[in-house]
Amino acid sequence: MADDQKQLQSLSDAYQKFQTDLQAAVTARQRLESQQQENIGVQKEFTLLPPPSQIYKLVGPVLLRQERAEAALAVESRLVFIDREIKRLETQIRDTQAESEEVKMQVYGLQTRMRGE
Amino acid sequence: MAAPRASLIDLSSLPTAQLNNVKNQLTQELQHLTTSFAQLKAAQGKFRDCGVSVRDGVGRDEGTPILVPLTPSLYVPGKLASTDVVLVDIGTGFYVEKTPPAAREFYSRKVEELGKNLLDLEKIVQGKQGNLGVVEDVLRQKVISESSNSGADGGT
Repeated sequence: MADDQKQLQSLSDAYQKFQTDLQAAVTARQRLESQQQENIGVQKEFTLLPPPSQIYKLVGPVLLRQERAEAALAVESRLVFIDREIKRLETQIRDTQAESEEVKMQVYGLQTRMRGE
Repeated sequence: MAAPRASLIDLSSLPTAQLNNVKNQLTQELQHLTTSFAQLKAAQGKFRDCGVSVRDGVGRDEGTPILVPLTPSLYVPGKLASTDVVLVDIGTGFYVEKTPPAAREFYSRKVEELGKNLLDLEKIVQGKQGNLGVVEDVLRQKVISESSNSGADGGT
């Protein structure tokens, strides 16, 4: 009985941890999503921009003049990076969900057994 | 993601505790969506203000006296030096030079895009509100029937 209690405790602790991890991953995923949207917006803006327009980049407190190709490349590579991060987080979220589901099932099983005793 | 799954389950077959969970989850989602809606609305307002500033502020003759805000409460006098180009923040730290009409076009495009998003979001919020209403109804009926049941039990 005491063993069961202990096991239940450790299982629910594990479940709690999975939930926290999941929450963190989901938040990170959301942040990436908004960054992706912003970058897509900038990319679109670059394509709409008439050629002679000067592009500046804010670095700390100063605006630096930047070449159009360079700026477009920077945004492009950022998008690639964000895309990769989103994929990575999504697998992580899926894995954590599966694991936490498993632990949940174990908790249910244990609880039913304890009630049966 | 949760909504289509929930519609497949007969809500009245769920125990009160689970219904409560569903209700809480929906309330949370709804709150999150409403906050996002308000933020989008605020962003849209800002873009609209920018457009107005470009039209009314930069649309004047060069040399027009203006007050430049250093902080939201401190202004210094200045003169409009150039009305040919404005610098527009297009996001992620990039600024581009645009002519005032192009800038206004940019801002009205942004306002329009956000307006579209707002409409979509509004539909989702309404859907969630409907779901929440249904869940609350079922929950109420459950509580009523449960309490009348236990009342009948107590009577006998």
